[in-house]
Amino acid sequence: MARTGTQWRTRPNLPLTHYVDPRVYTDRSIFEEEREKILEKTWAIVCHESEAPNAYDFRRCQHMSGKELLVVRGKDMKIRVFYNQCPHRGNVLAYEPSGNARRITCIFHLWSFDTKGNCVEITREKEGFQDRLSRKDVGLREVRSETDMGGFVWVNVDDDCGPLDAFLGDSTEFLRGELTAAPLEIMCYHKAIVPTNYKLWHDTNRDLYHEFLHRQNRLIAMGQPGYLDRRYHLHVHGHVTADPSVNSYENIEKGSGVERRMGWPGGESALHKLCNLFPTVTYNMRPPALRIDTMVPLGPEETIVEFRGLGVKGDSPEERRERLRDYNSFWGPFGRNLPEDFIAIVGQSIGLNHGRGSPYILHGREEETPHSEVCIRHYFAEWSRMMGRTAADPFGELPAVAAE
Amino acid sequence: MTTTGTATREPRGEPTGSGFESLAEREKAVRELVARTCLTMDAYDFAGYLDLCHPDFRYTITTYSPELRKDITWLDHDFAGMETLLEVLPLHASDHFLRLVMSRHLGVYTVAYSENDTRAAVVSGLQVFNTARDGGVTELLAVAKYHDVVALEGGEAKLLVREVRLDTRMLGETGSLIPF
Repeated sequence: MARTGTQWRTRPNLPLTHYVDPRVYTDRSIFEEEREKILEKTWAIVCHESEAPNAYDFRRCQHMSGKELLVVRGKDMKIRVFYNQCPHRGNVLAYEPSGNARRITCIFHLWSFDTKGNCVEITREKEGFQDRLSRKDVGLREVRSETDMGGFVWVNVDDDCGPLDAFLGDSTEFLRGELTAAPLEIMCYHKAIVPTNYKLWHDTNRDLYHEFLHRQNRLIAMGQPGYLDRRYHLHVHGHVTADPSVNSYENIEKGSGVERRMGWPGGESALHKLCNLFPTVTYNMRPPALRIDTMVPLGPEETIVEFRGLGVKGDSPEERRERLRDYNSFWGPFGRNLPEDFIAIVGQSIGLNHGRGSPYILHGREEETPHSEVCIRHYFAEWSRMMGRTAADPFGELPAVAAE
Repeated sequence: MTTTGTATREPRGEPTGSGFESLAEREKAVRELVARTCLTMDAYDFAGYLDLCHPDFRYTITTYSPELRKDITWLDHDFAGMETLLEVLPLHASDHFLRLVMSRHLGVYTVAYSENDTRAAVVSGLQVFNTARDGGVTELLAVAKYHDVVALEGGEAKLLVREVRLDTRMLGETGSLIPF
């Protein structure tokens, strides 16, 4: 039955955990607070170690907090991460996305830094600063980083943060075999700037109910025995995993002459494993390739989504071609799934209409299947804890809610 | 290899090794083939597109990634793979994409013929535009080059190899289910 305006605005008869106020996706003040309380306080992947494989390689990255970063591999082969910013006048140090340099030199006034972040040259230092300031005072700002879980470079820009292990807890255990059996290597990379909130992309990654959207998923996963017998597993800090799906690819490449025969070291070729890590990272292991999603929120309704396709280091050219072809057929910019996901979340943002559209967003499905929305509720439980706000009533406008 | 410029400079009336009545006819066939691949794809006439392709067709979309400092391939199909892809596209939620008006703007830069006259290497500039149904706004989606090899056999031109070499790496908000 169609509803009147009053009925449309009436909140559902569900617990407050089962829906959110749409302004959590659109409001500028909430977004700025998220930056301060979540994005600057938690760990996130910024790149893979194979993006800077050699001594003196650098990779320019953006952290989800918005910080410009420079990932540098030193002569000692250790990866260090710095703000990509000259301490002199604040200019970015690296303009190129990647490169190789023994010294990192600012183009502006030619101040130079080594791969450990030490300032090694200030042009006309004594003439300008006399003894008031010297190179030792103007090193680069290094941030906390760890290379782990498949060789990914994780960064937390909070110096006082806990270790990565404590943040991940046991959430990535079920991927440990795939991530440790052989070194990984980046195969391809692309990104998109999407007019949407970053949480909407992550909601979609978590939410296996949305597999109805994809013809590919309907063919390879949803019709398979046991598909609905799977469960979500909730982990510390809002992370969530789902029991793997067992895929069959018999129907999708019919007539193409392409036989799927490749698997992944340490894993079973038919198993598709998903691990969604609060607040912005997704591991998507579908042999023969691994996809990693990361995000850089630019504003409440603008997000950079980055996609990395990983193969196995030491792949033969034929193996690499096959992994790439399979990865791209689903997840490349010309793939069959990714553009569909983008249509859906851009459409969702249009519908939200800057917070003036739907009065609430439902996350209320409860069932012992991968179509439960407990995966999203778990995210917002962590979000609410860190923000000190209830996602269903972020501005404390409901008296009953405020009293709880 | 012989590189030709405009058709007006070419000799006419001389039969060619690839079965064309003249070099001008050969040149016309090559240029029209490349143009028709765009027109058929613009019209979502996938069967018409495949009719223009050689049975040994190879299609790739590639680009250089400054992030990874290497070439990357985003689509890689033989004839059968391309046929399968084009068959299933209308079955996707991508019917969204089939409702876009896509327009491939093409300029043939160079045509170079093999010694035995059975192959033409063609380089073209390409811009792909999307025009929305709602309101009709047009946006540039991508800038690229086609690096084609055209097979010239029995007086007929067929597309044997197409590498879509992208300059643009961020393809709108969504990427594209429809190949270029």
